[in-house]
Amino acid sequence: MGTHIDELVNQKIEQIKNNENVFDSGTVIQVKDYIIEVAGLENVTYFEKVTIWEKGMGYVNQIKENSVTVAIVKEDAPIEIGDLVKTTGEQFKAVFARQALGRIVDIFGTDLLTGKVFDKIEYINIENDTIPIMDRREVNRPMLTGIAGIDLIYPIGKGQRQLIIGDKKTGKTQICLDTIVNQGAIIDNRANDVICIYIAVGKTKKEIKTIYNELLKRNAISYTMMVVATNDDKAPVVSLIPFVGLSIAEEFMKMKKDVIVVIDDLKKHADVYREISLVSDKTPGREAYPADIFYLHARLLEKGCQYKNGGSITILPIVETKGGDITDYISTNIISITDGQIVLSEKEFAKGNKPAINYKNSVSRLGGAVQKADIKKLGAEIRRTFLSYLETKEVYELANMDEMTPELRNKMKVGKQIQEALNQPKFRPLTNEEIIDKFKKLAKQEGNIDEN
Amino acid sequence: MKIVGKIIGISELSVKVLLIDENVSLRDILECEFDDKTYEFEVVEINENIAKLIPFGRVNGLRKGLDVKLKEGGLQIEYSPKILGRVYNSYGEGIDGKNVASQQKKNVYERKLSLMEISIRNNPLWTGIKVIDFFAPLQKGYKMGLLGGAGVGKTVLIKEIINNVYKKFKSNAIFIGVGERSREGKELYDEMKADDLLDKMCMVFGQMGESPCSRSKAVYSGLTVAEYLRDEQKQDVLLFIDNIYRFVQAKSEISTELKRIPIENGYPTTMASDISEVEERINSTDIGSITSFQAIYIPADDITDDAVQAITTHLDGQIVLDRKVAEKGLYPAINVFKSSSKAIDPEKIGRRHYDLVQETLKYLSRYEELEEIIAVLGIDELSEEDKLIFYRSRKLRNYFTQPLFVSENYTGIKGEMVDIEDTLTDVEDILNGKYDDIDEEKLLFRGKLNGKQG
Repeated sequence: MGTHIDELVNQKIEQIKNNENVFDSGTVIQVKDYIIEVAGLENVTYFEKVTIWEKGMGYVNQIKENSVTVAIVKEDAPIEIGDLVKTTGEQFKAVFARQALGRIVDIFGTDLLTGKVFDKIEYINIENDTIPIMDRREVNRPMLTGIAGIDLIYPIGKGQRQLIIGDKKTGKTQICLDTIVNQGAIIDNRANDVICIYIAVGKTKKEIKTIYNELLKRNAISYTMMVVATNDDKAPVVSLIPFVGLSIAEEFMKMKKDVIVVIDDLKKHADVYREISLVSDKTPGREAYPADIFYLHARLLEKGCQYKNGGSITILPIVETKGGDITDYISTNIISITDGQIVLSEKEFAKGNKPAINYKNSVSRLGGAVQKADIKKLGAEIRRTFLSYLETKEVYELANMDEMTPELRNKMKVGKQIQEALNQPKFRPLTNEEIIDKFKKLAKQEGNIDEN
Repeated sequence: MKIVGKIIGISELSVKVLLIDENVSLRDILECEFDDKTYEFEVVEINENIAKLIPFGRVNGLRKGLDVKLKEGGLQIEYSPKILGRVYNSYGEGIDGKNVASQQKKNVYERKLSLMEISIRNNPLWTGIKVIDFFAPLQKGYKMGLLGGAGVGKTVLIKEIINNVYKKFKSNAIFIGVGERSREGKELYDEMKADDLLDKMCMVFGQMGESPCSRSKAVYSGLTVAEYLRDEQKQDVLLFIDNIYRFVQAKSEISTELKRIPIENGYPTTMASDISEVEERINSTDIGSITSFQAIYIPADDITDDAVQAITTHLDGQIVLDRKVAEKGLYPAINVFKSSSKAIDPEKIGRRHYDLVQETLKYLSRYEELEEIIAVLGIDELSEEDKLIFYRSRKLRNYFTQPLFVSENYTGIKGEMVDIEDTLTDVEDILNGKYDDIDEEKLLFRGKLNGKQG
């Protein structure tokens, strides 16, 4: 070492050090979109918050021998070479405010409906350490969505991570909204303590406002916090927002609350993370995503759990697919992390089946473990009958109905009825009792399979 | 502890250190204390006096200029009878809250087997799972791969095998959780505890929420423990690794961080040797054996993936789980054409079993062709012979589903184990038309048939 440039840089650092004394400072020497390189900042810590004089704010994302790389989270004026950068002596943190329930907040804890910061705030880590394996408990309490196709066939438990995956306009967000709204009905009945957090990852402002209005209209906003990064926010902000949302969820979980977190959506998140990685000169891997893309989503979704103190975090991440293909890189990564997936398909949507669930590809790894005894038995039966019908339907589609055995004909009939019974308009939640009533007769009719 | 260098660079997944001591080598563990926190690292690259380290955990709050110290003995794990009933993290630290004093520890990288030591024996080992015992039977000391894409049932199957094999043979077992769900790790622990099996098992976890360093070390630590039982206790050990692909994945994350040139799909240049290093340790000697079941994740459902292929070359057999089978609701969702075992040999499993496998595969491959024809023409257009093959194959297909113990909760049907002799008889009967008049539905999710008419 000891090249000419190094000497120059060192000289520069000396100069800056002599000028400043309170906090460490440095100057911008390179600007690459939202990643800047800063000379100086000798004593800065990793992930420390730094300010760019009168222009913005960022956090340290790499410390090198002679410089520091900073990811910009806020830019009020264009950052230029030579701008002064100062350390703050503290880590870049997220904001937790209980008042934010019922509001839309950004990463800085600003109430986006008023533009103000909440009075009572607490600084929390953007990302906490992984919840230790031995602090987790079995996931076995039902988290009811009010949707028969889910509560009956592919149930979700408190602390489960259930992926909602499908093409554009297949009703992914709707399922999550239905779930949030349904919690209200449950809260009213049993004074339960459920908190919902909706995390918008790079959504448009219009989409966010629409969702807010939907929740407001249905009295679901009082127990819901919307943690958002809009699509014109800086990429580092968009990539951090799901972590912020989950840190907030962890705060509630530690107060023994059951939290439901919706992340809308992780494909977008993967793409933003890829963008940052490529801008930061990381080696691209499969489909140009960086090698740690699995780790990114794994550590995020591992925050979902049934915690030892009784609280829980249920996560419903959304992933948008193209052409109905759920076997692409990012989707399979996330499927391999979550405890199951609800697959929505354009085809079902077009057929008028709503919610447009593709029951053949959907899965819940926890299954009956999160259902109460009565609905569990019925669910297992209906699921088996229905899946068997869907499979048989394909093979016997062209066969002559009249030549079928009576058993087969009955199977086709019952299958069709189940399909119809599963149709449910949005925001019309069903209780477990209502679901059981509706499907009981369909299970009975079938009869002759379970004889042995 | 001795100060050996200073931190000069930090990024999310690596730390650069300027060494002032020459006695630092690869795989040494360095430590840094700052702000009441201890950060640990492993040395992965040394270039003159600059070392690159990968952190055990997160590096937030760390800064330049801090001293790093050398930890004596490197990465170690307990090497004594005290491992049984314990749960460790990748770095050999107990995480089950039990306060057990260590007796003796051993470095996790030391053991290598020589050709002389390796023993090849051949006692069959039946799992009680029809489709595995029939199409991909295994023997003691085998390495069996369980391949599958996301969400087709690898973990369920590995849990069923643990349940059947481990409970049946009562031998000690090691479970290594690599890059998989913490929830499942904890559930396995709880289940083992409830069944009073914990004291026959040791678990090592480096799960998916943990750093690439952790995920890449769990295998070495777990192997050291398995070697203890094999070499010191002279036992036949069962080893479960869920999931060995995650080991390669963690290595590629580290490799990218070190700016090494990747091969296809971002895998590390040293992938083949990394895999060989661990796979060669999983072997049997004259005094003890290791039978291993290794779950292998198939990224993006692409079985030709380089990492998957590099792992499977080390195996004695493979069971491939297939999304297309799972979509039909047939579980375990095994693709019988892609599953195989070195034991499929008349000398090893006997002529009868061998012939039945060949015959069954013949039926099922014709069935696949017929399915395509039917999709266009319908069943009625088939010849009588093909119709027979078609219906019998569907029965065979249904017969090879099985109620599993570990998915009782999901299916609502009690799990069952099936003796291989019963499986052979049943398959023979189906092929011979004994069940021609039975509705195919009745063969779904059953144990043995027993000649019962339905």
